Amino acid sequence: MTDEPTIVIRDLHKSYGTTQVLRGCSMNVARGEVVVVCGPSGSGKSTLIKCINGLEGFQSGSIRVEGVEVGGKSTNLPKLRARVGMVFQHFELYPHMSVLDNIALAQVHVLKRTRPAARERARELLKRVGLQEKADAMPADLSGGQQQRVAIARALALDPQAILFDEPTSALDPEMIHEVLQVMTELAAEGMTMVVVTHEMGFARRVAHRVVFMDAGEIVEDAPSEAFFSAPKTQRAVEFLSKILAH
Amino acid sequence: MPDVILKNLPFLLQGLWLTLTLSVWSIALGTALGLVVGTVRFVRLPVLNAAALVYVEFIRGTPLLVVLFITYFALPALFGYHTTAYRAAVLGFVLFIGAYLAEDFRSGLRAVRPTLIQAGLATGLTRWQVLRFIILPQAIRRVLPSLFNQYVRLIKFTSVASVIGVTELTGAGLLVNAREFQPVTILASIAVVYLVVCMLLSLAGRALYARFAVRT
Repeated sequence: MTDEPTIVIRDLHKSYGTTQVLRGCSMNVARGEVVVVCGPSGSGKSTLIKCINGLEGFQSGSIRVEGVEVGGKSTNLPKLRARVGMVFQHFELYPHMSVLDNIALAQVHVLKRTRPAARERARELLKRVGLQEKADAMPADLSGGQQQRVAIARALALDPQAILFDEPTSALDPEMIHEVLQVMTELAAEGMTMVVVTHEMGFARRVAHRVVFMDAGEIVEDAPSEAFFSAPKTQRAVEFLSKILAH
Repeated sequence: MPDVILKNLPFLLQGLWLTLTLSVWSIALGTALGLVVGTVRFVRLPVLNAAALVYVEFIRGTPLLVVLFITYFALPALFGYHTTAYRAAVLGFVLFIGAYLAEDFRSGLRAVRPTLIQAGLATGLTRWQVLRFIILPQAIRRVLPSLFNQYVRLIKFTSVASVIGVTELTGAGLLVNAREFQPVTILASIAVVYLVVCMLLSLAGRALYARFAVRT
């Protein structure tokens, strides 16, 4: 059990009606590993990671997170999700709650921590992402970069075994991308298991252990990041890289 | 204050008191009913959703006066219970306003971004917890102006209760007029009272909304 990778995806198929979104994807994410998922838009990256915590269903194949079958009939999805954090493209902070309450909510109602303990932990995490002075602010009063850092703190508050990032910097102005990537780089250095859908190839090159390249619902290439960037094996990856690195 | 009003003031104040208590009961219970029905419609609970839909459509297609006749005459006859005009009026208003409030709540619930629901689920909250802590609080804040619109309408609607014999403000005024026959003074005075009550409620609604509005 202990040597099974944190996330194991086998032959995953998903379609919306007749449109196939995922066609037989398989990949592993080992404990402490940082995997970047990239590829052209519409290739199924976001769908793939939303399958990992059961936000999206799938038709066939299997996903195991820490040995638990995500698609299992008797699987307690809320319990599983509490062990896998998620950060979204548009932050998705609860707009009617203060920053502190955003981070405390699931701690209180999922982990059953007391309110003071949850708030204490929330303050620690805010400090860690450099926003301790924003505890009582409302999300609308924060910049995009600040909101995304709060969202990361909210994911961390549950002490997850892994965090999924769904294009965490795509909705940010260029000058805010850096502050978010900074926090993510620190997390990676601390050994957090991360699956990151992103177009930030600099981050992928510096921080990721592996890069998974998807196109048209398939995993076309799955390679150590150095190998992927220096010598992509497939024509499709070469074309993608030349487009994205051109500017 | 005109003499005719001053002379009948205790009686008219009793009428106002009835108008206010009718309104408070109807608003409180109607809001609870609307919240439940709107939520049932939003989450599409099987069976209950269909029942909720029938209820809402029935009320929206029925005149208020007919609803009051139903709760005063038809329902007691059908189910063999005794009621008073006051209770039948409260029941009628609750059923009436509940249907409209249900639609307001439902539209507020639907206005919450689905990705925000995903975000809540992703932290391990159950669907029920997401509804309770994330969706409902935002929906309620968002629909406060529509709720208070309905409340203001309801206060004016309570005058219809005079038809089934509740001597609320309008009923009391009509009785006084039958004895004194000064329709202009009496009805104008009553209209001013409704106006003041409704304006105060509107202002309260605006203050609440300003305090709790969700900024995104």
